Amino acid sequence: MEKLRESTLTKMLCYILIPIMGVILIASILNIVLFTENGSNIKPEEYIETESFSNEYLSSIYTYTRTIKNAKRTNPDNEPYYYTEINDNSYEGKVYYRSINYDDYSISRFINYIIIDESTGNLYTNIKTSDYNLEIQEMANEPIYWTYENDTINTNIENLNQENAKYIISTYYSSNALEGFKIYTNLNPEDISYSNSFYIQKTIYNLFERHQNYPAYLIPITSILIVAMIIYLIWAIGHEKGKEGISLNGIDKFSFEVLTFFVVMVVGIMCSGFVAGVNYNMPQELLIPIMSICYIIAYASTALYITTIIKRIKAKEFWHTFTTYRIYRWIKNQLNKTFRDDKHNKIKTSRKIIILYVLFIIASIILAGVGSFIAVILLLALWFWTLYKLLEYNKKMNKIQTALQDIYEGKSDVHLNEEELTGVLKSMAKYINDIAGGFSNAIEQSLKSERLKTELITNVSHDIKTPLTSIINYVDLLKKEDINNATIEQYIAILDKKSQRLKKLIEDLVEASKVSSGNVKLNLETINLKELINQAIGEFEDKFKEKGLKIDLDVTNEDVKIQADNRYMYRIIDNLFSNISKYAMENTRVYINLQKTQKEIKLEIKNISATRLNISAEELMQRFVRGDKSRYTEGSGLGLSIAESLTEIQGGTFKISIDGDLFKVILRWNME
Amino acid sequence: MYNILVVDDDKEIANAIEIYLSREGYNIIKAYDGEEAIKKVNENEIHLIILDIMMPKKDGLQTLEEIRKSKTIPVIMLSAKSEDYDKISGLDLGADDYITKPFNPLELIARVKSNIRRYVDFGNITPKKNENVLKSGDLSIDDESKKVVVDGKEIKLTATEYNILKFLLKNKGKVFSISQIYENVWNEESYGAENIIAVHIRHIREKIEINPKEPKYLKVMWGIGYKIEDIK
Repeated sequence: MEKLRESTLTKMLCYILIPIMGVILIASILNIVLFTENGSNIKPEEYIETESFSNEYLSSIYTYTRTIKNAKRTNPDNEPYYYTEINDNSYEGKVYYRSINYDDYSISRFINYIIIDESTGNLYTNIKTSDYNLEIQEMANEPIYWTYENDTINTNIENLNQENAKYIISTYYSSNALEGFKIYTNLNPEDISYSNSFYIQKTIYNLFERHQNYPAYLIPITSILIVAMIIYLIWAIGHEKGKEGISLNGIDKFSFEVLTFFVVMVVGIMCSGFVAGVNYNMPQELLIPIMSICYIIAYASTALYITTIIKRIKAKEFWHTFTTYRIYRWIKNQLNKTFRDDKHNKIKTSRKIIILYVLFIIASIILAGVGSFIAVILLLALWFWTLYKLLEYNKKMNKIQTALQDIYEGKSDVHLNEEELTGVLKSMAKYINDIAGGFSNAIEQSLKSERLKTELITNVSHDIKTPLTSIINYVDLLKKEDINNATIEQYIAILDKKSQRLKKLIEDLVEASKVSSGNVKLNLETINLKELINQAIGEFEDKFKEKGLKIDLDVTNEDVKIQADNRYMYRIIDNLFSNISKYAMENTRVYINLQKTQKEIKLEIKNISATRLNISAEELMQRFVRGDKSRYTEGSGLGLSIAESLTEIQGGTFKISIDGDLFKVILRWNME
Repeated sequence: MYNILVVDDDKEIANAIEIYLSREGYNIIKAYDGEEAIKKVNENEIHLIILDIMMPKKDGLQTLEEIRKSKTIPVIMLSAKSEDYDKISGLDLGADDYITKPFNPLELIARVKSNIRRYVDFGNITPKKNENVLKSGDLSIDDESKKVVVDGKEIKLTATEYNILKFLLKNKGKVFSISQIYENVWNEESYGAENIIAVHIRHIREKIEINPKEPKYLKVMWGIGYKIEDIK
């Protein structure tokens, strides 16, 4: 089956057989039609009796009269083409003569005619004679004649008698086609044998004569064969040996329209060649070969054309091979490229804009073209309306831009009224609202999670505090017992110290989590930083003295006023001073420098670390990190972190720098 | 012999408090939840209650509310919660004092003593009407005898400390900056003496306050100044 499908030979055979079968089929049909009617051979006398002849005869007459009529229609003085006036005394009116065209092999060449235009009395003829009046009378003496006089037809051609001819004329031409003419024609039967139409009829007859023994059943056989071969070809076309699917060659990819044009042209030329050969001046010995060639070329073109159509359809490429389609796709691609904003509906939008723009232009052109007062007013109205719409659109765009900017700047309460907007703007507004909603949600979520974290830490610390209370209390009670054992006393001292540290650690942890999550309420009031520093120094005086630390205080004379929560502000200084009292090297100076400028307030505290600061400033700021990595000394390591957070929530910046053993903290508040 | 009711669902803590306070000569009655506490209050003559907040059945605040309907005895709240909010709600409901866990035993004892004294010793005594006596709550100065008494207990102050305290108490409720205090007490321009005043004030706090970090009388307004709280 596949072999049959892929066989080039079978296909070629089909291509060749189909036209032959076609000819046989047509011949068979004609054979039946013609031979049942006319017997075996045809002679000129017999041909006269055929409709083919009578139709051609009448058509010729009509053509003569029409030529005369047409010439007169534009100008009564005009004479028809090909006619020349001759001098003749036998006829009372003017005589026009048309010479015979010897290249013409149609029936009309062989007809002798005299036509008298009754309105002018002019005589038109293709006969040269000495007495036209006599000739008119003798016309009917020829074996074949046809005259028309006073609406009466006289003829010996049966198909063209009064009744039949009238019928044909009124059916195919017009009922008054011959009015106003007197027509006298005859034909020498011998001449008929020179006419092409007779020749073709004769050739066909001769052709069929050979087959006339078996005509009837050839019709179904050839029909079935043709249909079968066509079906086979439809099924097999495009399948080639060793190739998957439908193979397309150059022709199959060729522009369908151009191909159609060429095929129609070729077939058209061939057909007209065919027809022209029959109708006009083709020498008889050329007619059959030329007609055969025309037939073959027309067939080949048609076959090629249909084959490629089938292939294209089978390959599902039919529409794609249309140049119009390609142009359409190219334009579409160009448009897509130009307006390619994305996957959703932007193309649609571009299309809409283009349509509106085109409508605008058309409307403008029409209105401008009309040019009346009202049209001009309308045109101006249209322009202003368009401007208004554009401005409105711009206004909406600005709103959207503002909303986007707000989101960009971190505002979370952005909301656009979607109802006010339409189309793309509306969906933009919706997305913006969703994003804004998402942002405020995310912010809320993160605040909530921070709060939960703080709550968790607070709750856990509560739970720890209860057992810790017992530990501290009982250690304290133990301490007061009279033990008299140095080792146990030492152990108790360690327990005491560590439980106290645990207590401090928990308290700092709660505070650090609260402060770093911003979960504190600030009670802002104007405070004097200078006063605060003095108060703090007073608080730590004992502790500093204990370590031999000397305070070198450098403060401005003026008050250093700042908006802050006094307890939290003290907590910052408290943490810093308590770090100094813990970690500063004994018998060194602690520098405290408080400066106020127009721009900022700056508090700088410097001290010398007792131990080597083997970590970076950044690390030191992390929660739970202390200057010595060993964690040997007391403290939670949260002091700096808490101080930093507290500074920040009160609008300041907190910076640490380490330079060798010099530990420096700088707090700044921007005053602008 | 004063009866103190200790209410805490943590028996060890209740026991520890009992040990501390017994040593000071108080008689301790214990309860382990709110309902029991209310029962014990009604059954016994109680002079002071130490009340834990987080307890089963009835929490400390509900218990306090219940007790306050009939009794005016001093109540010290005891809680692991150290949030301002918790303290305020306790005090609003009629607690007299507040101690956070883990507490310093000495502070606890001091607060108990202070509250008992106030309730029992002073409660009924009307103080002598003396124009030379300056007073805020249970802090008083007799300018004649130069005696300073807090919760009925005499405190020894240095001359400078006394002068500062007197100045502040005389203007109780008002806030004074260091230099204002200096100028008023020393009657001269303050220059460079700021932190000396601060040291003195810390010393005063350490002497008159149970917990100098959370002073009751001599309040520190950080960055603003100092004041003596005006207590009825």
